[in-house]
Amino acid sequence: MINLIQLELFKIVTKPRSYMGFLAITVIVLLIQFAFYVDGKQYLEFIFQSLQNSFQIEGNILNGALICFIILQMLIVQMPLLVALVTGDLVSGEAASGTIRLLLSKPYSRAQILWAKYIAGSIYTFALILWLGLLALGVGLLVFGTGDLVVLKSDELIILRADDVIWRFIGAFFVAFLSLSVITTFSLMLSCFTDNSITPIVASMSVIIIFTIIGTLDVPLFDTIKPALFTTHMIIWRNLFDNPLPKEQIAISLSVLFGHIVLFLSIAFWHFTRKDIQN
Amino acid sequence: MKKYILVTCLVLIFVLSSLAQTPKELIAKVNKNFSKVKDYSADLAMNFAIPGVNIEPISGKVFYKQPDKFRVRTKGIVFLPKQNPYYALALLKDTNAYTAVSGGVEKIGATSCTVINVIPNGENDLILGKFWIDAAKGLVLKSQLTTKSNGTITIENTFGAMSTYALPDKIVFTIDVAKFKVPKAVAVDLNSKSAPKTDSSVKGTGIISLQFSKYLLNQKLSDEVFKED
Repeated sequence: MINLIQLELFKIVTKPRSYMGFLAITVIVLLIQFAFYVDGKQYLEFIFQSLQNSFQIEGNILNGALICFIILQMLIVQMPLLVALVTGDLVSGEAASGTIRLLLSKPYSRAQILWAKYIAGSIYTFALILWLGLLALGVGLLVFGTGDLVVLKSDELIILRADDVIWRFIGAFFVAFLSLSVITTFSLMLSCFTDNSITPIVASMSVIIIFTIIGTLDVPLFDTIKPALFTTHMIIWRNLFDNPLPKEQIAISLSVLFGHIVLFLSIAFWHFTRKDIQN
Repeated sequence: MKKYILVTCLVLIFVLSSLAQTPKELIAKVNKNFSKVKDYSADLAMNFAIPGVNIEPISGKVFYKQPDKFRVRTKGIVFLPKQNPYYALALLKDTNAYTAVSGGVEKIGATSCTVINVIPNGENDLILGKFWIDAAKGLVLKSQLTTKSNGTITIENTFGAMSTYALPDKIVFTIDVAKFKVPKAVAVDLNSKSAPKTDSSVKGTGIISLQFSKYLLNQKLSDEVFKED
């Protein structure tokens, strides 16, 4: 089984598109950090304008934790697209290139092969999150220093003390990983249904975009649909920065995400183990 | 009956004795108390109740040096009033800089206070200052400052062991605050639900409370302590 996982990882590593995600994250994170290094103070002055009329605000507001939080807000919505680019290709790519029959002729069951692909896809997703964490939080803290985190909301500021921040970031990255795992399994599931590599990638991206738009629109019509969309629960990482922690809401969202992973994986396994592979 | 007469007489003597002092004499008494303190440092515990800001209490150190140097040092982000707590006392020092008018007697808790209204003579950020002074002890228990730049600020002092130096155990600031609101795109808060619309011009009141302990007086503090980091 480990050999199979290594083989799947090797396939991911040798594909140029696997590096697009890392490249995109690096460019975006460094760009945001550079922008805040140059213009961060003006940005914060604008945010704190109304409060600075009444108060003198002291302390290091522009710190690594704030920069990391802003990067996560901007980037986590886009990351599913980067994940789908690789995981949507895991099965269908083999079908398209004709290597799937060769793979299935090896002394492994279809379930083992799909498990190996899923685990390799998850390792890739984890590596993306880890890279994001290292760049956004690691470099952020190195360049901007430590301090209390100001959680920016349009109608509220939450100030979390420095010693209360790191575990929240670790939790946020874990939730982000779980959220992206939904995309991994969703695109893997679609990948099992087609024989060309583009369809599951484009279909995954389209679903994410449509769900995200529905989730963002403040229209009462969509209010009943929103709780059923996995994209609604993918942004639950933000709630880890609320004070007090909305534990019930987080638990519900984590269950929904986990439920989606199980559902998509089950469908993928059910179909792949019964699929009539002809090419 | 004798008891009632005695109590009434005592109250009358007390009230008359406070009224006997002119506003400026009373202010001079307050200044005299506070002038014993050249500088101090103390431990500080801060609490905040500011509309639209969710911030936890924090502790730190506070430093003061005559005439108006004041610095709070903490490890985190804090919201402080724009004026330092001794802004009002510093203002009262030059008795020629303002006109003081007596505003009668009012109770703050169980203490009868002489109310003195202060109107600056020249151009000043302060429009009107109202001070509730415990005439017997020469302590400002409450002050209300109406300023051009920051609206109205109310400062309530609670005195304890350091009252002989006019140093409070606790100061509570109540400050006018505009409702906090920034565009979603600026706060990168695109996925949050919109709160019900409210009038953003409506003002609330923010409360900052400073609890002092372990005062160390007249240690000849260096000016370096008060420098910005």
